[in-house]
Amino acid sequence: MRVDAKVVMLGKESVGKTSLVERYVHHRFLVGPYQNTIGAAFVAKPIQVGEKVVTLGIWDTAGSERYEAMSRIYYRGARAALVCYDLSDSSSFQRARFWVKELQNCEEHCKIYLCGTKSDLIDGDRSLRQIDYHDAQDFAEEIGAQHFETSSKTGKNVDELFQKVAEVYNSTAFQYMTAEETGVDLGQKKDSYFYTCCHNN
Amino acid sequence: MSQRTERRGIHVDQSDLLCKKGCGFYGYTAWQGLCSKCWREEYQRVRQQQIQDDWALAAKLQREEEAAYASSQGAQSQPQAQSTPPHPGHVSLGPFSKFEEKKTNEKTRKVTTVKKFFSPSSRTASKKEAQEGKSPSPSISRQASFDTDQVSKDFVDFLKNLQKPGREIHKQSRAFIVTMSSKKDLGADELSECVQDFYQHLADRLMGHFKGSSDSVEQVMDQVEKYIMTRLYKSVFCPETSDDEKNDLATQKRIRALHWVTIEMLCVSFDEEIPEVSDNVVNAITDIIEMDSKRVPRDKLSCITRCSKHIFSAIRITKNEPASADDFLPALIHIVLKANPPRLQSNIQYITRFCNPSRLMSGEDGYYFTNLCCAVAFIEKLDAQSLNLSPEEFERYMSGQASPRFSTSDGDLRQAGSSPDVTATNPALAQLNHNLKLLSGLSSKQESLMEAAQSLQADLIAWPETVQREVNGIVEKYPLEILSRTVSAIDANNMENDNLPPPLTPQVFAG
Repeated sequence: MRVDAKVVMLGKESVGKTSLVERYVHHRFLVGPYQNTIGAAFVAKPIQVGEKVVTLGIWDTAGSERYEAMSRIYYRGARAALVCYDLSDSSSFQRARFWVKELQNCEEHCKIYLCGTKSDLIDGDRSLRQIDYHDAQDFAEEIGAQHFETSSKTGKNVDELFQKVAEVYNSTAFQYMTAEETGVDLGQKKDSYFYTCCHNN
Repeated sequence: MSQRTERRGIHVDQSDLLCKKGCGFYGYTAWQGLCSKCWREEYQRVRQQQIQDDWALAAKLQREEEAAYASSQGAQSQPQAQSTPPHPGHVSLGPFSKFEEKKTNEKTRKVTTVKKFFSPSSRTASKKEAQEGKSPSPSISRQASFDTDQVSKDFVDFLKNLQKPGREIHKQSRAFIVTMSSKKDLGADELSECVQDFYQHLADRLMGHFKGSSDSVEQVMDQVEKYIMTRLYKSVFCPETSDDEKNDLATQKRIRALHWVTIEMLCVSFDEEIPEVSDNVVNAITDIIEMDSKRVPRDKLSCITRCSKHIFSAIRITKNEPASADDFLPALIHIVLKANPPRLQSNIQYITRFCNPSRLMSGEDGYYFTNLCCAVAFIEKLDAQSLNLSPEEFERYMSGQASPRFSTSDGDLRQAGSSPDVTATNPALAQLNHNLKLLSGLSSKQESLMEAAQSLQADLIAWPETVQREVNGIVEKYPLEILSRTVSAIDANNMENDNLPPPLTPQVFAG
């Protein structure tokens, strides 16, 4: 299947990256043993945006700290990154900050989506919340990111999040295309070997 | 070779320089001392000979196969078997001879590298040497071109459907290969850039031609990649200008040094006790090793993908839920450590340099490839912390003084194969022990069967004796008394029956 954009899921172990993808792609949240899918590590998902269909390739990543050094290999060339944190775990938010910094340094074309997870837990018991909504919102504005609080259990904000990713990608891709079409350098000699008969250099 | 050139530098005899066939022209060492004309004849002759030998062998194999088939199937199937051309027998020899050929090529390539130091102009020298490398056995070059010829044929067949643009694509691809063959001395990165530029421009032009139908463009690009990379493989895979070979060796050594890493340390969720899981693990290892044998970057990628799919099945069977990246990456590391795939770094570099970038960046294959890169990076950087070990333990394991498979830290326990820990960690050994137990049970059963059979035999031998004895006893107890012979005429007993009525006579009723 052809994939238009690469989207990486980043976040500390067990914040619910896989569940988020699983919820979005298969519309389910299951506790305990479930079958039918081989793995949720890579998913290609076509999304309708206006009249076009954008296919997102969603890359799950290993969140364990022992693989931290390798995370750069994962998000290379990504068009969007979903930085996830657990709303009931302040340490996961610290890790989210770390990834945001990394992304800003290494992948300037990558759009960042800050994504709080497990909001159903918070709705059940307000005292469990460790990350204030407004703090996260402020941080998101500061880094120019979109901010969502989601629940893979109830499905809250999940579809909205991925729809937004696809829409933003679509509009930026359109910009790229128009930018490329406006200027063609006639003096360009780059593809000269298509037009010459001597291929010696 | 180098010795001979040195000697030639000091003393040159006219007769040494002439063609060995005595035609009067000068000979050349790379042509085994023949002149160009005689060499060509000789080469053609050997080549023809080789082809004929191959055909003869193929025909022989075919005949043998037919004979075996005929004897098993009966005579009626013979004409059918004969109608097949002698090729199948020949082709079935393929895989092994290909392997041989690869080895030999590698050898000649390495020799060339060494020789390069001795020659003033490296480019011309390598060309001559390449020819010399081929000369001992022309069949090598012929075998090697068998693959590429097939690919070229497929490529042309594919392009025929595209008609005019197809011819254009073919022309450009050929021209590009010619260009590339003159750029052998460039660094690996420049080579990569050339190929990627070519992909890019061709894709752009195709995009214009197919009016934005990216699927058709992709299809064509796949074929172009296959054609070009099969042709260029030898000169651009693990090129002499790069450090790939050195890195390969370093990684191989590193993985060997890490032989003691267990799946528990990596937190892999495999339960290799389950036969399905261990089957998947074996398949995954086979797939990743197979990667080295492919030429086209895309084929190499699909090996990685297949390997990954097996890992996913193994995890799913073990955990009974779909695997996430948190499960997958450690499992892949485990597989790489177990497989120690040949020329791993070269293959990764080759794919990175020459694969179609769109596939590598976002597609599913790209995802698995990225994970493989991560696994290799992890293995390179692996330390005590990443395995949750203390630095001392890690050092001890690395130096081989201790092995985590044995509870004691003594180093000399490695040969003790029957320790229960070993059976616990190694499923194959456990299976072996299980089978041994079954076998010993079987042999004890057979022994008791033999005993029973022997006692039965003894019983059978004893039985007639006891019967005999009983019969004798009875005979003794009741001796045969022969009564005195009395008159036995039947009529004598019927003396007083004279007054019986006469027997009935049939009466005839007339009427």
